[in-house]
Amino acid sequence: MATYVIRRLLQVIPTLFVISLILYGLLALKPGDPIDELRRGNPGFTQEDYDRLRRLYGLDRPWYVRYWRWLGRAVHGDFGPSRQFGRPAAAYIFKYRLPNTVLLSGLSLLLAFLVSVPAGVISALRQHTVVDYAVTVANFIGVSIPIFWLGIMLIYVFAVHFRGFLPAGGLTTPGVTGTWATFIDRLRHLILPVIALSSLQLAQWTRFMRSSMLDVIKLDYVITARAKGLSEWRVNFHHALHNAILPLITLIGLNVPLLFSGAILTETVFNWPGMGRAIFDAILVNDFNVAMVSLMFIALLVLGFNLMADLTYALVDPRIRYD
Amino acid sequence: MRKVLLLAIGGLLCFSVAALTSPAINNLVIASTQEPSNLNPWEGAADTKENVMGVFNIGLTYFDSEGNLMPGLATEVPTIENGRVVVTYGPGGKVLTQDVLWTLRDDAYWSDGVPITTDDVLFTYEVQKTPELPVTTRAFSSLIKEIRRVSDKSFWISYSSPNLFFANVGGAIGLARFYDIAPKHIWEPIYRQVMEQIQANPDKVTEIIEGQFLGAPPATGTGTVVGSGAFQFEEWQINQFLRFSRRADFFMDPPGPAENYVQEITYRFIVNQATLLSAIIAGEIDASDDIGLAGLDPVVLRGQLGAQATVDITPSGFIEKLNFNLFPQCEAAADLLLGDKRTRQAIIQAIDRADLAQTVYPGATVSNSFLVAGDVGYNENLNEWEYDPDAARALLAELGWSDTDSDGWLERTTADGREIEFALHWVATTASFRIRTGEILQEFMADVGIKLEVENLPGSVVFSSEYLNHGSECTWRGIVEYAEAGGIGQAPADPLSNELWANDLMATAVDPLLENVPLPDNGFGGTNIMGWNNPEFDQMRATALKEFDATRRAEIVKQMQVLYNEELPTVPLYDRVEIVTKAAGLLNYVKGTAAARAQTWNAWEWGWEQNGAVAVR
Repeated sequence: MATYVIRRLLQVIPTLFVISLILYGLLALKPGDPIDELRRGNPGFTQEDYDRLRRLYGLDRPWYVRYWRWLGRAVHGDFGPSRQFGRPAAAYIFKYRLPNTVLLSGLSLLLAFLVSVPAGVISALRQHTVVDYAVTVANFIGVSIPIFWLGIMLIYVFAVHFRGFLPAGGLTTPGVTGTWATFIDRLRHLILPVIALSSLQLAQWTRFMRSSMLDVIKLDYVITARAKGLSEWRVNFHHALHNAILPLITLIGLNVPLLFSGAILTETVFNWPGMGRAIFDAILVNDFNVAMVSLMFIALLVLGFNLMADLTYALVDPRIRYD
Repeated sequence: MRKVLLLAIGGLLCFSVAALTSPAINNLVIASTQEPSNLNPWEGAADTKENVMGVFNIGLTYFDSEGNLMPGLATEVPTIENGRVVVTYGPGGKVLTQDVLWTLRDDAYWSDGVPITTDDVLFTYEVQKTPELPVTTRAFSSLIKEIRRVSDKSFWISYSSPNLFFANVGGAIGLARFYDIAPKHIWEPIYRQVMEQIQANPDKVTEIIEGQFLGAPPATGTGTVVGSGAFQFEEWQINQFLRFSRRADFFMDPPGPAENYVQEITYRFIVNQATLLSAIIAGEIDASDDIGLAGLDPVVLRGQLGAQATVDITPSGFIEKLNFNLFPQCEAAADLLLGDKRTRQAIIQAIDRADLAQTVYPGATVSNSFLVAGDVGYNENLNEWEYDPDAARALLAELGWSDTDSDGWLERTTADGREIEFALHWVATTASFRIRTGEILQEFMADVGIKLEVENLPGSVVFSSEYLNHGSECTWRGIVEYAEAGGIGQAPADPLSNELWANDLMATAVDPLLENVPLPDNGFGGTNIMGWNNPEFDQMRATALKEFDATRRAEIVKQMQVLYNEELPTVPLYDRVEIVTKAAGLLNYVKGTAAARAQTWNAWEWGWEQNGAVAVR
C-alpha cells in the first residue's frame, strides 16, 4: 500500500508538469497580453512604450522561454505577481479569493443537504399526496430557474423592494467594526448568494433522495423491519434512510471540487469575490499568473481527490489490493 | 422550532434597519464596476484609477467642470502672458526651446504633513526616466530636456519641442502619469532598493520590478500611502472598497465650515452593472462614478431612481468609430474596394447614425470628426453626412456593384474575373451596446445590399496587437469598431494622440517606411491600424506640430478635419457620454466636461445639502 501511495504521489509531479505546460501554452495562444491592457487605457501610449514594456516584462520572448522561467519560479513557490492587483498571485488567490469561495460554496452545499434530505424523504414517504406534488413542483422550478435570474430576483425583492432588508451584494459593509457586528454583517451578505447557489443542487438532490428512498422502502429488509413491529419512524429514518442516503453522499462527494473552483454566475451577480470570478477575470484581462496559480491549484485538487478515492476503495472493499 | 425561526427573522430585521444613511454621518459611498490595479503614480491605465487617485491627489493643474484649466499644486497656470512660458525661435520661426516655470504653493503638504517641494518633482522625474522601470508612458517625458531647480518651491521644465499642452492633466507635463508629483520621502527608499537589486541581479529585472516596484506597499495600500489631495488614504479592502477621510490641512476649502462637507469617502467596487444598479436603487450607494453605468439609458434610469437620485450626462471625450481595413495586402478587404473613399462615403450615408446613437448609447451625439465637439481644435463646419441610403446605393453602383442574381446582395466582377459578393466583416467587443450595434448595422447595410458579417469578440482579443495590428494579414478584413480618445485633454494634432498619420514628416521626408502603419517592415508597430496613408494629412500634421500659436495651430487642425471628413478613413459614429447618478442632496459632484478627466477632480467640495453644504457647481 505504502509503495503504491508513493508511486502515485511521484506520478503527480510529471502530471502537474504536463498540465502546467498545456495551460501555459493555451494561455499564450490567446491573443493579447497585459501591455495591450495598458495601451487601451492610455491615449498617449506610443509604440515605443509598447515595445519597451514588453521587453521589461519579458513578453517579447517566445512562450516556451517564458514558461520555463515561470516554472523555475513556481517550483520555489513564487507564482509571480497579479497584474490586476500588484500582489503576489498565490497570496491573492489563497488569501483573498479561496476563503470566500469555500465559505459560500460550503454553506450552499450544507444548506442544500440539510433541506434536500428531509424534503426527499417526506416526498417519498407521502408519494402521490399534495406534499409530494408540492415538493416535485418546487424541484422542477428549482432545476428550471437559472441561478443568475434567481439571484437578480432575490436582490430585487430583498434589497430593492424591501429596501435595505438584505444587502444587494458584496462581502461586507464598509465601516462595520466589532466581532459581533462583523459576524452579523457577513451573515447578512451570505444569505442571498447561499440561497441562489444552493437552489439547483437542492432541487436535484431532493429528486435524487426521493427516488432513492422510494427504491429502498420497497426492499425486503424494510418490510421485515416493519413486520417485526418497529415504529414507522425507526423503519424509515433508521433502517431505510441509512441505505437510501449512500448514493447521495457519493453524489455530494463529486461536488466537493465546487468548494474550491467557485461559482462564477453567483459570484458575479452578488459581487462576491471568489475563485470563479477571479479565474474568469484573470483570463479575460491577461493576468496570466493569477490564471495559472488558480488552474494549477484546481488540477492539484483533482489529482489529490482521485488518489484519495482510489485509496478509499481499497480501504472499504477487501477485493481491491494495491500491493 | 417556530419560536426559534421567528426570533431569527426578528433579529435579522433588527440588524437590517440598523444601517445609517450617508448624510446622517456625513459620509459618501461611491461605486464603480472597475477596481484600480494599484496606487503606483507612474504605472497603470486610466478609468477608475484616475478617479480613485483623484480622491487623495491633485496635480499641478486641473480642469474644472467648465473646462477651465486651474492651478492645483501650482500657484498659477503658466502662460506666455504671465512670463512663465518662454519660447525661443530659430531661423524661419522654428521653435528651438520651450521653458515653463512652475511654482508650488507654500501651503501644499503631503497628507502626512511633509511639505511638497521641488525635490519631489526632481525625484518623480528621475523615476519617470529610469529605463529599467515600467512607467506606463514616456510620451510626454521624452519631450523634456531638463528640469532646473530654482528654489524649494520653484523649477523650470525645458521641452525640446513645442508642447502646447504642457499644462493638461493626465501626465502631459511629463512627470508621473497620475497627478504629476509623487512623494519622495515615501518612494525614494523603495526606488533606491529596487535599483540596487536590479544592478546586483540584472537577469531578474522583471521579477524585481513586478514584486518591489509595482507591488511596493504604497502601491498596494499595505504600507504608508500619502497623497497631495483633499482626502487621505485610510484602507483598501481588495475587491471590496477603498476608504478615505477628509484632511484638515488641505489648501483648498469649500465655502463655509469644512465640517459641513463630506468627511469620509468609501469607493466601492461592484463588478456587475445590474448589481450596481440594484445597490443604487436600494440606497446602498450614494453616487456612481463615470464608468460604472456606461451604456445605460438615462431616461430609463431616471424613471427607476425617481426622486431619490439625479442622473447626469457628461461627454466622455471618446468617439465610437468604424475603422476600415485599407491595406491593399488584404485581398478580402481590397476586393470590397474599401480603399476607395466612395465606398466609405456610401457606408456612412447608409447608416442613420442619430438613430443608432440614441438606440445603443442614449444621450450620445453624432460625430463627424476625429475630435470631440468642444475640443479647442474642433471644426463645427464639417459635412454632416446625413442618412441617405439612395446616395449610398448610387455611389456603390458607380463603383460597379449591382445585385446581378437578385438575391438582395450586391456583387461585382473583379479585374481578374472573379465574382465578388459584398460581404463585409465587422468586428467589435462583446459589450452589450456593441452587440446591439452589430444587429442594427446589419439592417442598415442590408438595406443597401451589403451583407454584414457580425463578429463580437472579447476585448482582450480585439485590442491585442496580434489581432488589431495585423490588418495587413487580414486578421480582421473589413471593419473593426471601437472608441478612441477624441482630443480633449490631449493635443489635437499631437503626434502621440491620434491614429491617423502614417509618415512622421517632423523627423524625415517621405520615405517608404510608414512609421505609424503596422506592417512587417516595422514589426507591426504603430497605431494607424487602418493603414491610411495620406501625405497631405501628414504634411498638415507636421505643420501643426511646428506651430506654437494655439489659434493658428487650431486652424490647421480644422483643415485636417475637413480632409478627414472627406476621406473618412474611419467612420465616426458618435461622441460617447458618461452616465453618473448622485443621491438627492449630494452637492458639487459634477464632472461637467470631458476635460476634467476624473469624476473626483473636486472632492473637497462634495457635501450634503442636509448638512449645510453649499452648491458651487
